[in-house]
Amino acid sequence: MSLAAAAVPARRKGDKGIDGSADARLGLMLAAPIVIAMLSLVLFPVASTLWDSLHRVNPMMAGQPFIGLQHYRDLLVDPVVNESWRNTVVYVVICVVLETAGGIAAALLINQAGRWRRYVLAIVILPWALPGVVNAVVWGWIYNPAFGLLNGLLVAAGLDFEKFVWFNDRTIALFAVSLVHVWRMLPLTAVIVLAALQSIPSDLYEAGRIDGATRRRMFFYITLPLIRGGIAVAMTQSTVAAFNFFDEAWILTGSARGTRPILVQVYLEAFQNLHFSYGMALSVLVMIASLTVSLVYVLRVQRVTRLD
Amino acid sequence: MELRLSQRILTGIGLLLLILWSIGPIYWAIATSFTPTPDLMSQPIHFFPEHLTLNHYQRLAGFGTVASNDVTVAAQFRNALVNSVITALAATIVSIFLASLGGYAFARLEFPGRQTIFFIVIATIAIPGYTVLIPLYRLMVSLKLLDTYLGVTLIYLSAFLPLALWLMRSVFQQLPLSIEEAARIDGAGRMTILFRIVMPLAAPGLVAASIITFLGAWGQYMVPLIFSPTKTKPLTVLIPEFSTKNFVDYGLINAAGTIAMIVPILIVIFLNRYLVSGLTAGSVK
Repeated sequence: MSLAAAAVPARRKGDKGIDGSADARLGLMLAAPIVIAMLSLVLFPVASTLWDSLHRVNPMMAGQPFIGLQHYRDLLVDPVVNESWRNTVVYVVICVVLETAGGIAAALLINQAGRWRRYVLAIVILPWALPGVVNAVVWGWIYNPAFGLLNGLLVAAGLDFEKFVWFNDRTIALFAVSLVHVWRMLPLTAVIVLAALQSIPSDLYEAGRIDGATRRRMFFYITLPLIRGGIAVAMTQSTVAAFNFFDEAWILTGSARGTRPILVQVYLEAFQNLHFSYGMALSVLVMIASLTVSLVYVLRVQRVTRLD
Repeated sequence: MELRLSQRILTGIGLLLLILWSIGPIYWAIATSFTPTPDLMSQPIHFFPEHLTLNHYQRLAGFGTVASNDVTVAAQFRNALVNSVITALAATIVSIFLASLGGYAFARLEFPGRQTIFFIVIATIAIPGYTVLIPLYRLMVSLKLLDTYLGVTLIYLSAFLPLALWLMRSVFQQLPLSIEEAARIDGAGRMTILFRIVMPLAAPGLVAASIITFLGAWGQYMVPLIFSPTKTKPLTVLIPEFSTKNFVDYGLINAAGTIAMIVPILIVIFLNRYLVSGLTAGSVK
């Protein structure tokens, strides 16, 4: 034993030069495919999007003249685009609030489920694992005015919802569409918060009890501060996901302007109107907005977790 | 902690509501898929099917056909199912292969630019897919890779590789260094160590990353909507097409949806432990 222990540092020291450069070569070799894939499939396209957004690229029109920031100027005053931005902000707010509140509540409940915890957790995760499009199609059927489950339940409960159309009123439609997204994304928040809950040492609660703290006080002074980091991570996920909202909105309400999120607007501009570079300019703005929001969160999360 | 009876009842009610909220829509899809079409168009609705039928599934499978367009429906559905399986598996295998090799490099090997490259790759997670879809579309058209398995797999790779890499790196970082050091003292080379010692230890992490990548590719919609318009069209693109402007065949849609749900449901039932560990990796210190 002692011989081996003495041999280790000596050997490592002696080999360090050779080992180090061999490691570097191997490291570069293993990372190279990833670098090549990301360069050609993400970073080059992003650069090309930035470049093309300064030109007029339209498969229906000859030539690709340089037009500077014209697209960006047009986008700022485009009423349809502005309406989509507003919708996206509404989606982000509704989804983040509902997913965070619902996810924390779900995590607290699952944490109390005792020996059923594993099974409840599996059931709660299910919606997240399903394809968003399939969820949207199923919920579209649930929202069906004449034969849908939702109106059926409300009528059975004695409420006047016979043939109520959920997508006529804009505010209700925004909520109805958001709810489908919340149904899919809430499990992620619940799982992250649950993991944070389970990492709290139980002797903290013991100590709290000995000191005569009530459950409510223990929640606010022990639980909440210790799951703050987890909540922040979950909120980042919710925000980015709601920003990239597409599937459910496109399936449930198609191109309807009142519920059209910004990514549906990009899709329509680029792939239906074939205004390639105008769509690209808009997608650049979406990217900047999304990166900014993520960055703000990441910085905040870092501060919060450092406080922990 | 012991709860008072009233609190236990409240918790029980809360859990029941949570379960109903989570599986209610799934139950409704499955129930609808076994309900004859005339029953679906009757009021008041029945919360439990009065009659059961396999008709919708028969039409998807293509036997016992009645209407003339059922032959096309069955053929389309079979193709889409095959396409979904092929593209999701291909995306998973390629992503996880590259991510596990790269993850080891970023976790254990010193090489120039290690931190910077890793940060840039991870930062691309925050780039919305649509920012790159238009140039990728033109790239795929010029390479003649539109509507091919290779083209779709490459795009999935660019979308799922960063997250898989992040997961795999954190898996390798959590493995004890001492085992690798012991193997090196015995004279094992890096690649031997990676494949003989590290990979088996990292197996649960590999499973977690594979599941998350697979589910992501299985449920993708906007990528195949653009890049897989006909020959390689997956289930997610086909299913919404079953509804036309005049008539929505809800029985057929829900049967197809139920089939698309089976794989994720099986994964959650049998591999939930890995799934949860993958979802929470990195979110808790």
